[in-house]
Amino acid sequence: MASIGAVHVRSPSFLPLRNFRNGLQFWSELGLGCTCKYSSGRVTYRKFVVKAMESDVDSGLRNDAVVIKNSEKDNVEKQQQLHQNIVAKLHESIGSLPVFAFSIGKLSGMNFTIGLCIVATILVVVVKGYATQRSSDRRPGSVADLVRRGQLRSDRRGISTPLKYEDPFNNPMVKVSKSNSTVEMCGKVYRLAPVTLTDELQTVHQKRRSRAYQWKRPTVFLKEGDPIPSDVDPDTVRWIPANHPFATTASDIDEGLAQTNVYQKHGVPFRIQAEHEALQRKLEALQNDQKLGKLVIDPAAARDFERPLKSHMKSENQVEHSTSTPKSGSSASPSDNPPGNKLLPEEMQNP
Amino acid sequence: MISIHTITNPSTLQFRPKRPSRKPPKTLAPIHALLQYNRKPQLAGDTPRVVVITSGKGGVGKTTTTANIGLSLARLGFSAVAIDADVGLRNLDLLLGLENRVNYTVVEVLNGDCRLDQALVRDKRWSNFELLCISKPRSKLPLGFGGKALIWLVDALKNREEGPPDFILIDCPAGIDAGFITAITPANEAVLVTTPDITSLRDADRVTGLLECDGIRDIKMIVNRVRTDMIKGEDMMSVLDVQEMLGLPLLGVIPEDTEVIRSTNRGYPLVLNKPPALAGLAFEQAAWRLVEQDSMKAVMVEEEPKKRGFFSFFGG
Repeated sequence: MASIGAVHVRSPSFLPLRNFRNGLQFWSELGLGCTCKYSSGRVTYRKFVVKAMESDVDSGLRNDAVVIKNSEKDNVEKQQQLHQNIVAKLHESIGSLPVFAFSIGKLSGMNFTIGLCIVATILVVVVKGYATQRSSDRRPGSVADLVRRGQLRSDRRGISTPLKYEDPFNNPMVKVSKSNSTVEMCGKVYRLAPVTLTDELQTVHQKRRSRAYQWKRPTVFLKEGDPIPSDVDPDTVRWIPANHPFATTASDIDEGLAQTNVYQKHGVPFRIQAEHEALQRKLEALQNDQKLGKLVIDPAAARDFERPLKSHMKSENQVEHSTSTPKSGSSASPSDNPPGNKLLPEEMQNP
Repeated sequence: MISIHTITNPSTLQFRPKRPSRKPPKTLAPIHALLQYNRKPQLAGDTPRVVVITSGKGGVGKTTTTANIGLSLARLGFSAVAIDADVGLRNLDLLLGLENRVNYTVVEVLNGDCRLDQALVRDKRWSNFELLCISKPRSKLPLGFGGKALIWLVDALKNREEGPPDFILIDCPAGIDAGFITAITPANEAVLVTTPDITSLRDADRVTGLLECDGIRDIKMIVNRVRTDMIKGEDMMSVLDVQEMLGLPLLGVIPEDTEVIRSTNRGYPLVLNKPPALAGLAFEQAAWRLVEQDSMKAVMVEEEPKKRGFFSFFGG
């Protein structure tokens, strides 16, 4: 951004000089042959300036003539030559001025372009900043967010080479002095002091704590406002607010079932199986209502749309379908069972 | 790897130096340390040992301790399962760098969306370390059987086909609310993490009292974020002061280390750092003592200027 800004700031200062030179060379040499708007404008302005300057020159000449009359007549010729020189200089200056004026006129057009660029840049920056803010607001503080902000390096998380001592039970970084009163760890020497805790002191502290803290671990969790069951010790009840952020007393799963789930070692988890069975039941119910009959794709019709290269794969699929037909029921080919006369799964199992 | 003990009886010395000194010391120094070279720590107690890592106060380093001790145990050759029981604010997966691999949690296991073995996340760096998260950050744990669920989990892990793990570490949430009650339910022993400041000590004492009321008697403490320079300037309580106030055996003393933050952000526990950090070494020693059900008998008090030899002038 800084570089773009610098270019925008600097560019106007260059433009007049470039236009001045280009205009002087280009328009004066080509003789204003073109009919564009800017060129005609320049010509008229030039004429106006020329007239204005000439009027000034005339008055100047008059003043000079008065002075000449009052002074010596010998210098008249010299003065006339001088006047001619002044007029020539004025013509030269006139030749330069209109170009400068034109360049100012062209600059206003350039300013519009530059302004447009600046506005567009600001718009892009604002939109990009807004988009970045939106994306960072999704999960502020997450590891991905920290990585995005450059505070963490993603390539250094959890994939470094682990430290492997030659012998993990012989750590060269720890050395104990011969007198065993100091230990050197990581190049620093520490003095050792004996631990003064005795069993008696430990017992004294335990007794102190048992007196200070009378506590029974709560075993019953109730929502605030619920009545205490009659067979429950009130000391063992922990009241959980209904809006507790992490804990809830409500449970949509049976305790015995949860225990079975934890102990399950093999097979499909309970919930997955239940969902699968529920879906299957729903499918069967739909089939019973013959709502699914319309959704079955006719393999004979589908064959026309398939590519010829896959024909052998399709035939294999057909073999598999034919073998698995008794189980699924929905995969029964409609050629065997026309849509109006389909065999239901129960009928297939019990014809 | 070292473990520091007081030598109470010189005849039962287990000191195995590589090169025994020819000249024994004339008088026994008041402090003795024991180096354990070239042997695996001996596992004490019945497996699986269910250890809850708790503190009461938040931000003292429970999760860091769980991650580092868990991976240290794995490095020492023991199988460990770390359970992140912090229901709402779980972070153990982040510290271990396993956050992208947690698809299922205990809540999904209870609901029957997955099996327990599917919810266990095995660490690829040390395959005998597994992580189990109790819930996803935005889900609620039904507390009706929260504590029971953890007991079932421990039972299921005991009876799994590949054998029970040696250690089950439970990362307890801060506070003494429902999460704490749930987390301590299946535990047999506890590691209390505290820092040497009065706020942390008061909470630690309270939590110790609750644990003892619940029947957990084997409680050891880890004093975290110890700064020997501040202790020397009497701006911080010493480890011995902390022990005097709480009356608990010491499992470890972890010095303040800038590497902790770095390793946390990298998702790479301290104990795997190369070169090893001071705090990582301290965690390793704490894990060693946990295996052997041992406690510290000597603590590092202050830093001494390193004695340099005659030729140190020349870099020797």
